Amino acid sequence: MKKLLSIVVVLVFFAVMAWNFAAPPIPSQWSEEQQALISSLSLAKLPPLADDPSNRVADNPLAAELGQRLYFDTRLSSNNSVACASCHNPELMFTDGLSLAMGLAIGPRHTPSLVGLSYSPWFYWDGRKDSQWAQALAPLEASHEHATDRVQLLHLLASDSVYTEMYAQLFGPLPTVLNLPGSASPLGDSRQQTAWNNMDEGSQRTVSRFFSNLGKAIAAYERKIVPGTSRFDEYAEQLINSSATQQGDLLSNTEIAGLNLFIGKAQCVSCHNSPLFTNNEFHNTGVLAVSGQLPTMGRYEGIRTARNDPFNCLGEFSDASPQQCIELRFARDENDLVGALKTPTLRNVTLTAPYMHGGQMASLTEVIKHYNDAPTSMLSHNEAKPLGLRAVERRQLESFLYTLTAPLATAEKWLSAPAD
Amino acid sequence: MRAFLFALLLGASTIINTPVSAAAISPELSGRTEQGLKIEIYSSLSPLLINRIHSWHIRILDLNNLAVSVEQLTIIGGMPEHDHGLPTQPQITARLENGDYLLEGVRFHMPGKWRLVVTMNREGEDDQAVIEFQL
Repeated sequence: MKKLLSIVVVLVFFAVMAWNFAAPPIPSQWSEEQQALISSLSLAKLPPLADDPSNRVADNPLAAELGQRLYFDTRLSSNNSVACASCHNPELMFTDGLSLAMGLAIGPRHTPSLVGLSYSPWFYWDGRKDSQWAQALAPLEASHEHATDRVQLLHLLASDSVYTEMYAQLFGPLPTVLNLPGSASPLGDSRQQTAWNNMDEGSQRTVSRFFSNLGKAIAAYERKIVPGTSRFDEYAEQLINSSATQQGDLLSNTEIAGLNLFIGKAQCVSCHNSPLFTNNEFHNTGVLAVSGQLPTMGRYEGIRTARNDPFNCLGEFSDASPQQCIELRFARDENDLVGALKTPTLRNVTLTAPYMHGGQMASLTEVIKHYNDAPTSMLSHNEAKPLGLRAVERRQLESFLYTLTAPLATAEKWLSAPAD
Repeated sequence: MRAFLFALLLGASTIINTPVSAAAISPELSGRTEQGLKIEIYSSLSPLLINRIHSWHIRILDLNNLAVSVEQLTIIGGMPEHDHGLPTQPQITARLENGDYLLEGVRFHMPGKWRLVVTMNREGEDDQAVIEFQL
């Protein structure tokens, strides 16, 4: 009896191990539907970047050059040490490798990658900005980021002959700094706000117009930051003429199995879709609040902030007609957006740890475990359901994500500060 | 299914029978209401793709293929298998000369099966069509 029991225990042990760790055979052919899904993810299917009607210099080469200069310039901060590139570092796929962004102080959110971000209609994790130029303005005046202000920036540009010349070519002469205080902003501390309120309305609008132009130049630069062709893309292109899952040695069996899960059982493709592996939409996936913070209201609050933003598409500093502000005019704002945050791209995701809006997860293994468990959300409800992935499947899925890593398609000259 | 909803109150209850010129293109989507009206949807984005905001012309035709006017037009849309609606809040912003209704702000954000429920009120009576399609 004892011997029989031992045999049963051993058999159960091996069965459990096999269930968890034995890799099932991969299919030899993709179905038509799978082939179409894989093809839809290929970088070759990425359309040209659409115009941004709110930014008339979005595709102006000189604006991109001015934007690049501004992007890497640490003088755009109150202590001359923080530039856009400090957190969105080109050497780290335009991220910073930190859990929470670190400018002049630690911020409340994890720095997202800028790669391919120009394709998104919304910016920030909660989508509180509706253009890349409007987004670029906010960190400049945020006390934990650059902690400068629009009037200080005007003084800076006016004191720099290169900036003055480039700005004038794009937007006309810089506004005069005579009669302006040294520092002022409607969003700063009480001293900055008082100085701002003491300015006449015409000066305020002139300065804000100048400020918006800086954002438009930075956005013109950021539109250059696009992903390059990865092993996955080469594989997807091979599939155009063949449905065989094996395409030479482009992807390993483990990676192919991971792809099969990605577009199937693991349901990743529901949100991480299209060539940038993101739908740029907002979802509550039950990620824990950042330590020490209340759970975020997410997109529910973000869309309300975007609607009230003076720099939005419908605002006076936008170059678009109201009819062109389609995303803002037809955005949803319903209760199910509580706690919903933006889907990030998975392109180069293996190089952009840690993950989630607060950098709460150090590795992709943790992220995949999170989605496999689909825990209850702290606020509202988790849209995701438990996946039931076995250990071997979780590893396969992670392997597949490595096939999305590739050098950027961005020309080398844009990846560092401009040479003078 | 978490529903997404928009409604248009057209006010006047008069029915106009506007002939629809023969369209050179075929509708992107179509369906028939319980009372036999034909719904044709012409899209500014063809074929339909995810993650691209676009607009639709919605044409409602009677049995004689004449465009009809409705007092109220409501569309509920979403993914029945995922328990959610559309990511945007499209609205009917105009009635066009040919009798089509212009729907702006349409976007889909996931591949899979989508379902639209087009509900209308015509001469005081409710009517609806269900249109399913794959993206």
